[in-house]
Amino acid sequence: MVDALRRAHRMIAPHGMVVDVHPTAAPPPVDVNGRAIGNVVTDDGIERHAAADAAIPAVVNDGLFALERVIEFDFFTYGDTIDELRDYIVENWRDARIDDDVVQRTRLALTEVPPGVRPRVLERVRLTILRPRRSAT
Amino acid sequence: MAIDEDPEGNEDAAFERAGLSFLNCRVLEIGCGDGRLTSRYAHRAASIIAIDPDSEAVAELATALPGVDTRAVSIQELSLPPSSVDVALFSWSL
Repeated sequence: MVDALRRAHRMIAPHGMVVDVHPTAAPPPVDVNGRAIGNVVTDDGIERHAAADAAIPAVVNDGLFALERVIEFDFFTYGDTIDELRDYIVENWRDARIDDDVVQRTRLALTEVPPGVRPRVLERVRLTILRPRRSAT
Repeated sequence: MAIDEDPEGNEDAAFERAGLSFLNCRVLEIGCGDGRLTSRYAHRAASIIAIDPDSEAVAELATALPGVDTRAVSIQELSLPPSSVDVALFSWSL
Protein backbone atom coordinates (compact mmCIF):
# COMPACT_ATOMS: atom_id res chain seq x y z
CA MET A 1 0.00 0.00 0.00
CA VAL A 2 2.85 2.37 0.77
CA ASP A 3 4.39 1.21 -2.50
CA ALA A 4 1.18 2.05 -4.36
CA LEU A 5 1.24 5.56 -2.89
CA ARG A 6 4.90 5.96 -3.85
CA ARG A 7 4.08 4.93 -7.41
CA ALA A 8 1.19 7.38 -7.51
CA HIS A 9 3.52 10.10 -6.23
CA ARG A 10 5.79 9.63 -9.24
CA MET A 11 2.86 9.93 -11.65
CA ILE A 12 1.16 13.05 -10.30
CA ALA A 13 2.15 16.59 -11.16
CA PRO A 14 3.69 18.78 -8.40
CA HIS A 15 0.40 20.67 -8.06
CA GLY A 16 -1.60 17.45 -8.09
CA MET A 17 -3.12 15.31 -5.38
CA VAL A 18 -3.86 11.82 -4.21
CA VAL A 19 -7.45 11.12 -3.20
CA ASP A 20 -7.97 7.93 -1.27
CA VAL A 21 -11.40 6.54 -0.50
CA HIS A 22 -11.64 3.35 1.52
CA PRO A 23 -13.76 1.87 4.32
CA THR A 24 -12.52 2.14 7.87
CA ALA A 25 -11.55 -1.00 9.72
CA ALA A 26 -14.87 -1.08 11.60
CA PRO A 27 -16.86 -4.26 10.84
CA PRO A 28 -19.84 -3.29 8.62
CA PRO A 29 -23.14 -3.83 10.44
CA VAL A 30 -26.28 -5.23 8.86
CA ASP A 31 -28.99 -2.80 9.82
CA VAL A 32 -32.79 -2.75 9.84
CA ASN A 33 -34.45 0.58 10.44
CA GLY A 34 -31.41 1.89 12.30
CA ARG A 35 -30.94 -1.23 14.46
CA ALA A 36 -27.73 -3.23 14.00
CA ILE A 37 -28.53 -6.93 13.68
CA GLY A 38 -25.03 -8.32 13.18
CA ASN A 39 -21.93 -7.72 11.12
CA VAL A 40 -20.73 -8.66 7.68
CA VAL A 41 -17.91 -11.17 8.18
CA THR A 42 -14.75 -10.65 6.16
CA ASP A 43 -11.76 -12.95 6.04
CA ASP A 44 -9.21 -10.16 5.94
CA GLY A 45 -11.18 -6.95 5.41
CA ILE A 46 -10.47 -5.47 8.82
CA GLU A 47 -6.74 -6.11 8.52
CA ARG A 48 -6.69 -4.86 4.92
CA HIS A 49 -8.46 -1.62 5.76
CA ALA A 50 -6.31 -1.13 8.86
CA ALA A 51 -3.23 -1.52 6.67
CA ALA A 52 -4.59 1.11 4.30
CA ASP A 53 -5.19 3.38 7.30
CA ALA A 54 -1.58 2.88 8.35
CA ALA A 55 -0.17 3.56 4.88
CA ILE A 56 -1.39 7.16 4.91
CA PRO A 57 0.57 8.35 8.00
CA ALA A 58 3.54 6.31 6.79
CA VAL A 59 3.90 8.33 3.59
CA VAL A 60 3.15 11.58 5.45
CA ASN A 61 5.80 10.85 8.08
CA ASP A 62 8.15 9.92 5.27
CA GLY A 63 7.79 13.46 3.92
CA LEU A 64 6.40 12.29 0.61
CA PHE A 65 2.95 13.82 1.08
CA ALA A 66 1.21 16.42 3.20
CA LEU A 67 -2.14 15.51 4.67
CA GLU A 68 -4.64 18.09 3.43
CA ARG A 69 -8.04 16.82 4.48
CA VAL A 70 -9.90 13.85 5.92
CA ILE A 71 -13.66 13.41 5.71
CA GLU A 72 -15.66 10.42 6.93
CA PHE A 73 -19.10 9.44 5.71
CA ASP A 74 -21.61 6.58 5.86
CA PHE A 75 -22.07 4.44 2.75
CA PHE A 76 -25.21 2.30 2.78
CA THR A 77 -25.94 -0.64 0.49
CA TYR A 78 -29.61 -1.67 0.43
CA GLY A 79 -31.28 -4.84 -0.79
CA ASP A 80 -34.96 -5.51 -1.26
CA THR A 81 -34.49 -8.59 0.92
CA ILE A 82 -31.76 -9.89 3.19
CA ASP A 83 -31.24 -12.84 0.82
CA GLU A 84 -30.58 -10.44 -2.03
CA LEU A 85 -28.17 -8.42 0.10
CA ARG A 86 -26.40 -11.59 1.29
CA ASP A 87 -25.97 -12.85 -2.30
CA TYR A 88 -24.74 -9.47 -3.51
CA ILE A 89 -22.08 -9.27 -0.83
CA VAL A 90 -20.82 -12.79 -1.51
CA GLU A 91 -20.58 -12.06 -5.22
CA ASN A 92 -19.22 -8.53 -5.12
CA TRP A 93 -17.25 -8.00 -1.94
CA ARG A 94 -13.86 -9.54 -1.46
CA ASP A 95 -14.01 -12.60 0.84
CA ALA A 96 -17.10 -11.38 2.69
CA ARG A 97 -20.39 -12.93 3.80
CA ILE A 98 -23.41 -12.50 6.03
CA ASP A 99 -23.69 -15.54 8.28
CA ASP A 100 -26.94 -17.53 8.45
CA ASP A 101 -27.78 -16.50 12.01
CA VAL A 102 -27.59 -12.82 11.02
CA VAL A 103 -29.75 -13.56 7.97
CA GLN A 104 -32.35 -15.26 10.20
CA ARG A 105 -32.35 -12.43 12.75
CA THR A 106 -32.64 -9.88 9.96
CA ARG A 107 -35.65 -11.70 8.52
CA LEU A 108 -37.26 -11.57 11.97
CA ALA A 109 -36.41 -7.90 12.42
CA LEU A 110 -38.01 -7.11 9.06
CA THR A 111 -41.32 -8.54 10.32
CA GLU A 112 -41.27 -6.00 13.14
CA VAL A 113 -40.88 -2.84 11.07
CA PRO A 114 -43.23 -1.01 8.71
CA PRO A 115 -43.58 -2.38 5.16
CA GLY A 116 -41.05 -0.94 2.76
CA VAL A 117 -38.14 -0.88 5.20
CA ARG A 118 -35.19 -2.52 3.47
CA PRO A 119 -32.19 -4.22 5.06
CA ARG A 120 -28.89 -2.45 4.53
CA VAL A 121 -25.20 -2.69 5.26
CA LEU A 122 -23.34 0.31 6.62
CA GLU A 123 -19.74 1.04 5.76
CA ARG A 124 -17.97 3.91 7.44
CA VAL A 125 -15.76 5.37 4.71
CA ARG A 126 -12.79 7.72 4.96
CA LEU A 127 -11.85 10.14 2.17
CA THR A 128 -8.30 11.47 2.40
CA ILE A 129 -6.57 14.12 0.30
CA LEU A 130 -2.79 14.13 0.10
CA ARG A 131 -0.56 16.68 -1.63
CA PRO A 132 2.93 15.80 -2.89
CA ARG A 133 5.73 17.41 -0.90
CA ARG A 134 8.92 16.34 -2.62
CA SER A 135 10.30 14.05 -5.26
CA ALA A 136 10.13 10.35 -4.53
CA THR A 137 13.42 8.71 -3.68
CA MET B 1 -31.80 -7.53 -8.49
CA ALA B 2 -32.50 -4.25 -6.77
CA ILE B 3 -29.33 -3.49 -4.91
CA ASP B 4 -29.06 0.19 -4.19
CA GLU B 5 -25.69 1.69 -3.30
CA ASP B 6 -25.52 5.00 -1.46
CA PRO B 7 -28.98 6.29 -2.44
CA GLU B 8 -28.47 9.05 0.14
CA GLY B 9 -25.63 10.41 -2.00
CA ASN B 10 -23.25 10.59 0.97
CA GLU B 11 -20.22 9.80 -1.19
CA ASP B 12 -21.04 12.59 -3.64
CA ALA B 13 -21.64 14.95 -0.72
CA ALA B 14 -18.26 14.07 0.79
CA PHE B 15 -16.50 14.79 -2.51
CA GLU B 16 -18.36 18.08 -2.73
CA ARG B 17 -17.45 19.03 0.85
CA ALA B 18 -13.82 18.30 0.02
CA GLY B 19 -14.03 20.52 -3.06
CA LEU B 20 -13.26 17.62 -5.39
CA SER B 21 -14.88 18.16 -8.77
CA PHE B 22 -11.91 17.00 -10.92
CA LEU B 23 -12.90 19.74 -13.37
CA ASN B 24 -10.46 19.68 -16.33
CA CYS B 25 -8.14 17.36 -14.41
CA ARG B 26 -6.13 14.46 -15.78
CA VAL B 27 -7.28 11.66 -13.49
CA LEU B 28 -5.75 8.27 -12.83
CA GLU B 29 -8.32 6.10 -11.06
CA ILE B 30 -6.83 3.07 -9.33
CA GLY B 31 -9.27 0.24 -8.62
CA CYS B 32 -12.00 1.58 -10.86
CA GLY B 33 -14.02 -1.66 -10.93
CA ASP B 34 -17.04 -1.29 -13.18
CA GLY B 35 -16.86 2.51 -12.98
CA ARG B 36 -19.38 3.27 -10.26
CA LEU B 37 -17.29 6.21 -9.08
CA THR B 38 -15.81 7.04 -12.50
CA SER B 39 -19.21 7.83 -13.97
CA ARG B 40 -19.77 10.52 -11.35
CA TYR B 41 -16.91 12.75 -12.51
CA ALA B 42 -16.17 11.53 -16.06
CA HIS B 43 -18.03 14.41 -17.70
CA ARG B 44 -15.88 16.98 -15.87
CA ALA B 45 -12.39 15.51 -16.16
CA ALA B 46 -10.03 16.42 -19.00
CA SER B 47 -8.94 12.80 -19.29
CA ILE B 48 -9.21 9.59 -17.31
CA ILE B 49 -7.02 6.51 -17.13
CA ALA B 50 -8.97 3.90 -15.17
CA ILE B 51 -7.18 0.76 -14.03
CA ASP B 52 -8.23 -2.41 -12.25
CA PRO B 53 -6.88 -5.96 -12.36
CA ASP B 54 -10.45 -7.23 -12.83
CA SER B 55 -10.67 -7.41 -16.63
CA GLU B 56 -14.42 -8.13 -16.68
CA ALA B 57 -15.19 -5.06 -14.61
CA VAL B 58 -12.88 -2.93 -16.73
CA ALA B 59 -14.64 -4.18 -19.87
CA GLU B 60 -17.97 -3.06 -18.39
CA LEU B 61 -16.55 0.37 -17.70
CA ALA B 62 -15.10 0.61 -21.23
CA THR B 63 -18.54 -0.09 -22.68
CA ALA B 64 -20.33 2.36 -20.43
CA LEU B 65 -17.74 5.14 -20.73
CA PRO B 66 -15.98 4.75 -24.08
CA GLY B 67 -14.03 8.00 -23.63
CA VAL B 68 -12.13 6.58 -20.67
CA ASP B 69 -8.71 4.97 -21.21
CA THR B 70 -9.28 1.64 -19.44
CA ARG B 71 -6.53 -0.82 -18.60
CA ALA B 72 -6.84 -4.18 -16.83
CA VAL B 73 -3.71 -3.80 -14.74
CA SER B 74 -2.68 -3.05 -11.17
CA ILE B 75 -0.79 0.09 -10.25
CA GLN B 76 2.32 -2.08 -9.88
CA GLU B 77 2.00 -2.98 -13.57
CA LEU B 78 1.18 0.51 -14.79
CA SER B 79 3.82 2.62 -16.45
CA LEU B 80 3.10 6.32 -16.92
CA PRO B 81 5.48 9.25 -17.44
CA PRO B 82 6.28 11.31 -14.34
CA SER B 83 3.87 14.17 -13.59
CA SER B 84 1.42 12.93 -16.20
CA VAL B 85 -1.74 13.16 -14.07
CA ASP B 86 -3.24 15.76 -11.78
CA VAL B 87 -5.20 13.37 -9.56
CA ALA B 88 -4.48 9.81 -8.46
CA LEU B 89 -7.76 8.48 -7.10
CA PHE B 90 -7.60 5.29 -5.06
CA SER B 91 -11.15 4.08 -5.46
CA TRP B 92 -11.75 1.79 -2.49
CA SER B 93 -8.52 0.08 -3.51
CA LEU B 94 -5.64 1.14 -1.26
